[in-house]
Amino acid sequence: MRRKSSNVEIWVVLAVALFVIIVLPCLNAFTADTSGLHVSNFTITIYGKYLCYAMLAISVDLLWGYTGLLSLGQALFFALGGYMMGMYLMRMIGDLGQYHQPIPDFLVFLGWSTLPTFWKPFASFPFAMLMAVLLPGTLAGIFGYLAFRSRIRGVYFSILTQALTYAACLLFFRNSLLLGGNNGFTDFKFVLGHDIREPGTQRDLFIASGIALLLVYLFCKWLTTTKLGKVQRAIRDSENRVMFSGYSTANFKLFIFVLASIIASLAGVLYVPQVGIINPSEMSTDKSLEAVVWVAVGGRGTLVGPIIGAFAVNAMKSWATRAYPDLWLIFLGTMFILVTVFMPKGIVGLPAQLRGVYKKFTVKKIKAEPAVADAGDAIEPAKSK
Amino acid sequence: MMRALKNTLASLCAGYVVLAAHGQEAAAVREKLANSILAEGAEQQKLVAELGDTGSKLVRDVLIAWTRDSVLLYDTNGTKIPVLLEDQTDADGKARAISIADGKFLLDDKKQELRFSPTDLNSVDTDAVLRTVIQQTLDTLALADPDPDARENAVLKLGNSQKIKNIPILQARLAKETDLTVRRDIHEAIAMLQLADADPKIQIAAAQQLAALKSIGSLDMVKSLAESKTAPPEVVQAAKRAVETIGIHIGAVNFFGTIFRGLSLGSILLVVALGLAITFGLMGIINMAHGEMIAIGAYTTYVVQNLFGSGFAFSVNLPFSLFGHPLGFGLHLPGMNAAGWFYESYFLFALPLSFVMAALAGLVLERSVIRFLYRRPLESLLATWGVSLVMQQLFRMVFGANNVQVSSPRWLLGHFTVNDISLGYNRVFVIGFAVLIVIGTWLLLTKTPLGLLIRAVMQNRDMASCMGVRTTRVNMMTFAFGSGLAGLAGAFLSQIGNVGPSLGQSYIVDSFMTVVVGGVGSIVGTVYSAVGIGTSDQVLQQVTGSPVTGKIVVLVCIILFLQWKPGGLFSIRSRSLD
Repeated sequence: MRRKSSNVEIWVVLAVALFVIIVLPCLNAFTADTSGLHVSNFTITIYGKYLCYAMLAISVDLLWGYTGLLSLGQALFFALGGYMMGMYLMRMIGDLGQYHQPIPDFLVFLGWSTLPTFWKPFASFPFAMLMAVLLPGTLAGIFGYLAFRSRIRGVYFSILTQALTYAACLLFFRNSLLLGGNNGFTDFKFVLGHDIREPGTQRDLFIASGIALLLVYLFCKWLTTTKLGKVQRAIRDSENRVMFSGYSTANFKLFIFVLASIIASLAGVLYVPQVGIINPSEMSTDKSLEAVVWVAVGGRGTLVGPIIGAFAVNAMKSWATRAYPDLWLIFLGTMFILVTVFMPKGIVGLPAQLRGVYKKFTVKKIKAEPAVADAGDAIEPAKSK
Repeated sequence: MMRALKNTLASLCAGYVVLAAHGQEAAAVREKLANSILAEGAEQQKLVAELGDTGSKLVRDVLIAWTRDSVLLYDTNGTKIPVLLEDQTDADGKARAISIADGKFLLDDKKQELRFSPTDLNSVDTDAVLRTVIQQTLDTLALADPDPDARENAVLKLGNSQKIKNIPILQARLAKETDLTVRRDIHEAIAMLQLADADPKIQIAAAQQLAALKSIGSLDMVKSLAESKTAPPEVVQAAKRAVETIGIHIGAVNFFGTIFRGLSLGSILLVVALGLAITFGLMGIINMAHGEMIAIGAYTTYVVQNLFGSGFAFSVNLPFSLFGHPLGFGLHLPGMNAAGWFYESYFLFALPLSFVMAALAGLVLERSVIRFLYRRPLESLLATWGVSLVMQQLFRMVFGANNVQVSSPRWLLGHFTVNDISLGYNRVFVIGFAVLIVIGTWLLLTKTPLGLLIRAVMQNRDMASCMGVRTTRVNMMTFAFGSGLAGLAGAFLSQIGNVGPSLGQSYIVDSFMTVVVGGVGSIVGTVYSAVGIGTSDQVLQQVTGSPVTGKIVVLVCIILFLQWKPGGLFSIRSRSLD
């Protein structure tokens, strides 16, 4: 039963991915503006952003849903990746900035005439990508090593990651870090030799995000079927028993933490050229918590859940911030309270939960099990998506 | 330039008021004043110098006017009457004239008030010598001011004047002065002036005097003397020693000042974190809305302040409508328009009210959300974050997105100085208050039946329940109490910082850190860690020279500290797992 529904899920995801990666860009590129089938450039950019959010959500879910580590630092890694990409994009502006100097505008503004040393190699795209993997990975490695070694878990881990994010946010707000201070980076011109504002470039970035999300999804899907994935879930359910069985839980958690940080960072890399700005507010704890909301709404402990959640919440956000700008935060907050209290399995788990409630009311006479939904059944409704 | 002019006008204006108001009281003084204005030469100088003994504000204002050529002479049939023109002029630019001799308006034969423009009358002449005498008289007058603070300022001004001739004035005052602080200042000022004396012996004595007084204000002067090439070597030697002594004193003052600020910051952290120590430490609930409980306290203070003032009103329109009627809610509370000490006492009413309001909000929160989440601490973090978002937005809708103005009562403003360390009343109050709250909380938890129940439920909820403790009720009370403490903290923060919708956000990370470092579930640990974090924050700010760097260093230190003691300072030992 379980294997079968899992297979169905993969096929559905592949079909949706095919639609997103091939059909949508084609509709954008080859149909006329007036045609009913036309997908606007605006839609492509918005959905491209959501795809990156979905990747971030998967990284949160890998930690929270599968390993039981609620990290409030994922926005930090996301933003770090974004900053690495941003540095590359800033170098690509060349002397087309406001001051027509060969260094980024904000450095001119701060009184620099030559490029600081650590900025120099970022003219190379491969180097920027290498750093986007290494920097968050190293930071996660060091922090994770320190945290897991002293057996910091549960809420303490959450609070510490929150503090880490807060500290980094304060740091990036400083001008003396030479990373743009509170304005961050913006006004990008070129990415890999293409004009970043061309619809074609945006479309390519959209396709790249779609492929990246698909790959991350498939990789995580595979990872959860391996022995490592099983240990991971065992840690979530009872870390002490796993430890007593002779597993070094700290190493497993460290591996997942580093992996999740790299996935978040890659999401950030793809996110920045599509929205065209990166600044320290992206790494605030609120952003981390927002990502957690997506996972909670979509359904944690599944891999489609975060994707559905990221799309659903952000689509609602786009609508609500325009329709009721004052009330949006109240919507988000209330939704979050309701989901946490009454829908612990999110949208994906909703049908199973309803079925449980239904059973409870109809088959009262049989000594029914408590209305806890079976995780295997929970995935089925994804078919309808 | 404009400002100088304005000040002049203001002081003149004040002069007329005095002239008019205290006309009869100072008849003798007026007589003297008028005589001195009408006198000539050496006689005049003597009379003016004598005016210094009167200590009258009127004399000061007239003398200032005199140096600005605003004292005019009205000549009738050979009798000269010194007058001042009123500030208020009519359409022709003319003003009524006030006689200095009796403080009354000049009248003509028909009892009509006379009006002049400044150019109609001749001003009383002054020469260089007279101006010097007037200035000295003014200084003496300032030194005789009834307000000790004003006297201190005058002394300070003379001390920095670098004019040796001011020494006799100061010495004359020293003979009469009774206030100890002012006496010390006069000694300091005299020594500062004597530094420029021609006699090296006096210079050395002055430098030694300044060193003994640990005079921070004279540091620049002594330093320039110590670096002087022309001064005799023994004078330079003495000056150098004085610089050293004063430098050590400044170091000590800065150190203790930093410690004091650290203590007060620690106390704020303590009050904020104590509520959290109860909800998080004792109950295991991660209340991300704790910051908003603080904001409730702060806004309650704001509302109470307005109720004592002109009233409080708000209205919110929702973007929905029901059967064509736009939906919204609002409230208008009339104010009491209190003034004086009654208005100043609003804070005393605001304190308990902010506790009650936050406690009520906590009660509602516990009943509606948190009671579902006692076994799921991670989820309580998420749900309460949702609550915090909603509450922040509500604050924005009701009180506006900008910071609101909460004025401190006068008895919390100002400071007193101990050995050059300035201690602000509000900071001292915060420290004292934090001590009270900690003692109160400790008493409640250890000496009352409720405290016993709270501790029982926190140690083992199931067991307590089996023993007949009504755990849901205890949970409610505990959470309300923790939230109430946050409200109290908010009332305080309104006195030292801005009150805005995101007030709580700036403290939430710090207060979680405080509880974690102190050891979850330990009130004593929270006290130690709050004071420790507060002080090290201030010290690091001094050392690194920037508040942000200091904060980052503190956070990194906390992360490293938890490596050494994962359970915090006072961790509760237990054999149970998970």
